[in-house]
Amino acid sequence: MKRAVVLMAAFCFIVAMGGIAFAADTLETAKKKGVLVAGVKDSTPGFGYVDEKTREIVGYDVDFVKAIAKKLGVKLELKPVTSASRMPQLVEGNIDIIAATMTKTAERAKQIDFSNTYFFTGQKFIVKKGTVRSLADLDGKRIGTAKGSTSEQNAKKALPKATILSFDDYPQALLALQQGKVFAVTTDESILANLLGKAPNKEQYEIPDIQISDEPYGLGMRKGDKNFVAFVNKTLLEMEKSGEAKRIFDKWFGPNSQTPLKRNFKITADK
Amino acid sequence: MFKYQFDWSVVLSGQYAEWLLSGIKVTFQLSVVSIIFSFLLGLLIAVMRMSNVRPVRWFAHGYLEFFRNTPLLVQIFFWYFGSYKILPMVINDWLNRTNFEFAAAVIALTIYTSAFIAEDIRSGVRSIPKEQMEAARSSGFSYIRSMQYIILPQAVRITVPPLINQFLNLTKNSSLAMTIGVMELTYQARQVESYTFKGFEAFTAATLVYVVISMIIAGLMTLYSRKVLNPIRAK
Repeated sequence: MKRAVVLMAAFCFIVAMGGIAFAADTLETAKKKGVLVAGVKDSTPGFGYVDEKTREIVGYDVDFVKAIAKKLGVKLELKPVTSASRMPQLVEGNIDIIAATMTKTAERAKQIDFSNTYFFTGQKFIVKKGTVRSLADLDGKRIGTAKGSTSEQNAKKALPKATILSFDDYPQALLALQQGKVFAVTTDESILANLLGKAPNKEQYEIPDIQISDEPYGLGMRKGDKNFVAFVNKTLLEMEKSGEAKRIFDKWFGPNSQTPLKRNFKITADK
Repeated sequence: MFKYQFDWSVVLSGQYAEWLLSGIKVTFQLSVVSIIFSFLLGLLIAVMRMSNVRPVRWFAHGYLEFFRNTPLLVQIFFWYFGSYKILPMVINDWLNRTNFEFAAAVIALTIYTSAFIAEDIRSGVRSIPKEQMEAARSSGFSYIRSMQYIILPQAVRITVPPLINQFLNLTKNSSLAMTIGVMELTYQARQVESYTFKGFEAFTAATLVYVVISMIIAGLMTLYSRKVLNPIRAK
C-alpha cells in the first residue's frame, strides 16, 4: 500500500514536471538546456538532406536554424521529420522548431505559429519531356507526391479527376515516375528542381511552366510561444539585412549551384 | 489530466467519413484476397516441404527461410519497385496501367504470410500419426492423394487456431501497403489527419475498425471450424 502511494506520488510528480517543461517558453528552456532541437527533412535535396561525404544533414533549412541557434548562443540538435510527422512532433515537445519545407497555411496556423516567410516557391510538376502542355494534360492521370504535404491537397483541388498517389517521401515518388508508375510528380518547384538535379537520365524529364499554387515557407513554432516567435522573426529580418539570407540562398540555389533558382522574394515582416 | 477534447464530428460525417469508409473497403479486400491466396500457397509449400523428392523439399525449405526472415516492408518495396528491373518492359507497361499498387501489396502479403502458414500446417501434419500415411499408401493411395484425402483434412482442423493468428497478423500487416500508395485504412486515417489535424479521432476510429475486422475474421473462422470441420471429425 505504502509503495503504491509512493509510486503514485512519483508518477504525479513526473506528470507535473512534464507539464511545467511544456508550458515554459522555448527561448528560456533552450537557453537553460543549452540546446535547440530543430525538426528538418533528411531526404529533400537542397533543403535538408544527408551530405554524401560528411554524413551530416545539410541544406537551406538547416542553415537557417543554425543561424538562429548561433544567435541564441546554444547548440543545435537536428531531428529528421517527415511532412506527416513534423507538426505532432512539435506539439508534443520532441522538437522546438520546424524547418522542413513547410508551407504556411491558415489551417496549420490554427495549430502552430509561423515565422516570417523565409522561402517562397510555387507548386509545379515533373513530367516526361514533351508530354504536358497545359494543366488539362494532367487531369485524369496518376500523379505522385508525398504524404501529409500541401502538395497532395493542392493537386486534388487543381486536378479533381486525377488519382493522387501519396508515397512516404519524394524520392520514392520520383522512382515511381521513372518506372512509369505515375505520370507526373508534383510538389514545390524548389524541391522538384533538386530532385531532378540528382536524378539519373534527367534529360528525359522537365518541369513545365504550370504552377498550381503559391508556397510561402515558414519556420514552425508552438502556438503561443510569443517570445520565441518574436526572437526568430527578428533574427530572420537581421539575416536579410546583413545579406546572410541571400548568401544562404545562393549557396543552395544560386547560379553556381546544382539547381539554380531565381530569388523572387525578400524576407519581410508578415502583415 | 486528460486535456484532449475529442471531436468526433470530423470522422463521422462528410468527405472524411467517406475516405475512412473507402479505406475500410480496401483494407477488407486486401485482407480477404491475401488470406485466400496465402492459405492456398501455404498449403502447397507445406506439402512440398514434406515431399520425398529432394529438390522440391529443398526449394520449399529455401522459400520458407527466405520469406520468413526478411521484413515485410522490404518485400513490399521489392515487389513494387524492384520487380521493374527484372520484368520485361511490355509487362511493366501493362502493370502500370492496372492498379499495380494493390497487386504488389497482395503479392507481398501472400508470399510473406504463406511461409508462416506453411510451417503451421506442417506442424499440424506432424501431429497426425505417421501410421496413417503408411496405411493410406499401402491401400494404394498416391502421396498426393493420401495428403489430400486423409492427412490434410485432419491437419488443417488442428491448425485452425494458429491459422487464425496468421490471418489476423496479415490483416494488420496490410497497413504497410500504404507505403506504396495503396489507399487502405491507415493511409486514409493519415490523410484525414493531415487535412484536419484530428489525428486522435482518425486513428482511434481506424483502431476500432481493425479490431472489428479482426474479430469478424476470427469469429468466422471459429464458426467454420465448429460447424463444418469438427462435426465431420466427430462422426
